[in-house]
Amino acid sequence: MMKILIAVGSKEFSEPTLRVGMKIAKALNALTTIVDVGEKTSKFNSKIVGLTQERMDSWEFDRPGIDVLEWAFQFLADHNYISPKMVDAGFPKNTLVHTGGSRSEVFLKGTVCEDVQLILRNGNIIEELRDEVKIRKYDITIIGGSRKRRMAHDLVQYIDSSIFVVNQFNPNQTYRLLLAVDDSTGTKGAVKFGARVAQAFNIDVDILTVSKVDKFGKGYKGAAEKAGKLMGKCGINYQNLYRVGDPSEIIKKEAGDNHIVVMGASSKNPLIKFFKGSKPLKVMEDCHCPVLIVK
Amino acid sequence: MLGFSQSSLTNFLFWLTQKKWFLITMALGFILFLFPTPKGLTLEGYRIIIIVITTLMMIITEPIPLPAIALYVIVFQVIFGIDDANGVAHSFMNDAVFFIMGSLMLSVAIIKQGWDKRIALGIISLTGHKTKNIVFGFTAISAFLSSFIGEHTVAALMLPIGMTLIRFTSQDKQKVRGLSAVLLFAIAYGALIGSIGTPSGGGRNVIMMSYFKDYGLSISYLDWMIKVYPLVLIQIPLISWVLIKSFIPEYDHLDTGVRKLVVQVANSPEMTGRNTIAAIIFLLVFLGWVFLSETIGLGTIALFGVFLYLIAGYVSWEDLSKNTHWGVILLFGATISLGAHIKETGAAFWLAQNVVNLFGNLMNNFPIVVDGIVVVMTTTLANVLSSSATVAVLGPITLNLIEDQIHIGLVTAIASAFGYFTAVAAPACTIVYSSGLVNAKDFLKVGWKAGILSMILLIIYANTYWLLIN
Repeated sequence: MMKILIAVGSKEFSEPTLRVGMKIAKALNALTTIVDVGEKTSKFNSKIVGLTQERMDSWEFDRPGIDVLEWAFQFLADHNYISPKMVDAGFPKNTLVHTGGSRSEVFLKGTVCEDVQLILRNGNIIEELRDEVKIRKYDITIIGGSRKRRMAHDLVQYIDSSIFVVNQFNPNQTYRLLLAVDDSTGTKGAVKFGARVAQAFNIDVDILTVSKVDKFGKGYKGAAEKAGKLMGKCGINYQNLYRVGDPSEIIKKEAGDNHIVVMGASSKNPLIKFFKGSKPLKVMEDCHCPVLIVK
Repeated sequence: MLGFSQSSLTNFLFWLTQKKWFLITMALGFILFLFPTPKGLTLEGYRIIIIVITTLMMIITEPIPLPAIALYVIVFQVIFGIDDANGVAHSFMNDAVFFIMGSLMLSVAIIKQGWDKRIALGIISLTGHKTKNIVFGFTAISAFLSSFIGEHTVAALMLPIGMTLIRFTSQDKQKVRGLSAVLLFAIAYGALIGSIGTPSGGGRNVIMMSYFKDYGLSISYLDWMIKVYPLVLIQIPLISWVLIKSFIPEYDHLDTGVRKLVVQVANSPEMTGRNTIAAIIFLLVFLGWVFLSETIGLGTIALFGVFLYLIAGYVSWEDLSKNTHWGVILLFGATISLGAHIKETGAAFWLAQNVVNLFGNLMNNFPIVVDGIVVVMTTTLANVLSSSATVAVLGPITLNLIEDQIHIGLVTAIASAFGYFTAVAAPACTIVYSSGLVNAKDFLKVGWKAGILSMILLIIYANTYWLLIN
């Protein structure tokens, strides 16, 4: 069974991320976890802040982050993602269980997707997500776009799951899926995921093959044809696009702001990726639309 | 590559990025180590300066756990031959460390008593419903309490009161943005202002007291209060005014909020005999500090208070153990050990001489300049470091700057409390920041005004009032 982690941060900015994440979770019937990673507390004052929080409890104040989870609960309830029994009982903040470190969790019985878990963590976002993925072995991590360029790099480099960055998602926009394929090992997974995402959003697919030279090799053509076949089998409308030029630039241009980009992760050595970057990373940093990097 | 899997390489790269400041610090330390010893400084003195620089960098950037920084200090003081193992161990523990340990534990015991609800009633009955008066009341009560029970304890007790008043005024956070900021900053800044008032107001004061002792000087608890408390009283209305002018509250009166707060507090359990005894224990501790601290030490008295709370069953050892930050205690021990060795190796004198050489003429013609330099240096460092660590490291240096060591020592200790500028500068600031109702920019917005005001006030105060009472 697939496992999805959706990282949210605030009611104001995280709705698109949660909307997209839950749509994918529904399509994959995945076990879903929604996490809010709160700000890191200075190590000097961590204990006294914890103690203050205990006092706040006695004045019936929720700890920071509970409001975000409560909002997520309401979103799930409004969109029928959790069972009516759970909705009637309201947000079960009293059953939020501390599971060690800065992590607390609460379980909700899912309807269209498998069970949904809401969790709170505190600390550096990359560290916390990496830890969560490492322990619970998620298949995809879904997160909103960030203005920090380093964030995209760290997500792709260090999180051991596929990464879906819901960048500048507009719910009123009609999207197409841009599936970038080549002869790399990552393409196979990207095509599979691409098909699932296209089904989830009920959208058409542009299968894009980019070559740096005029000629398209066997591997490239084969990958594009295989992807087309799978889309056909799944009943998804698709078209094959062949372009020549710099892959990241072409993908960025073709994607515009009305595509969801799906591509495989780079199979380069981590050291090379760290110093020189990679195609997926460049696409994630530069594109003005949601991007899924499949690992 | 070399038999390493992709995953282990990724883990290694992640470790590198997480520890980059540790690696940069170590590289800088190594480069400094290769440099020749500066003229006039002993080899041990130069090496302790390297340890100080690297330690401060690690405390500021927090790339490794705080106790690991303390261990680094222990190990490298021995390896660099600054002192033998017994000497380093000896320098690690003194009354100031006992005080910090006792004060953190007392804080746990006091917070567990739930005195906040009584304090809330006290504030409201004193200030009434007018917002300006309530802000003044929050600042004044926080300042008064933090002089005796420590700024972190006060902020922890006062935060729920402030937040309840805000919540009862309006549930919509956006509609009480100014009110939230002004009340929460009144708590944090009030606690900071008051913490300078007595030696027991903060670990930094006790560290300075222990340095005075090392230099053969003495200042009693009451003497400290006579010298410093008027500055607390002057700052309270001024800082309240700065807050009101910086964050304009949306409401002139908080009638609804105050009424609901009074009802909520009235519904909470009555004061019991047990509560009274808990208060009496603290009163005993306070009297001990005032009358016995010169004989048996502030730290011993704080620990005695903890002992009483433990045997009376007001707090369990499990609670104390869980909520006391042992790593911080270890780290303060380390910074105090550094301070001792800065002095012993002659590094403090050498650094002070360099400051004197740099500003010699100015310092001779205008003695007030020394205070200015110390205040700016201490405040800056205290805003990026912990205030206690700042005093532990800077104290031995500033005490060598002028002959009147009590004067400059007090200026150092007081200036270290001006942690207004960032959310991490002082525990009180971090606590109100954790509420989520104020953001990091708010600290800068008001911090520079409060900071500059306090710095100027301190310099004027130290050069007028202290001259008068001397």
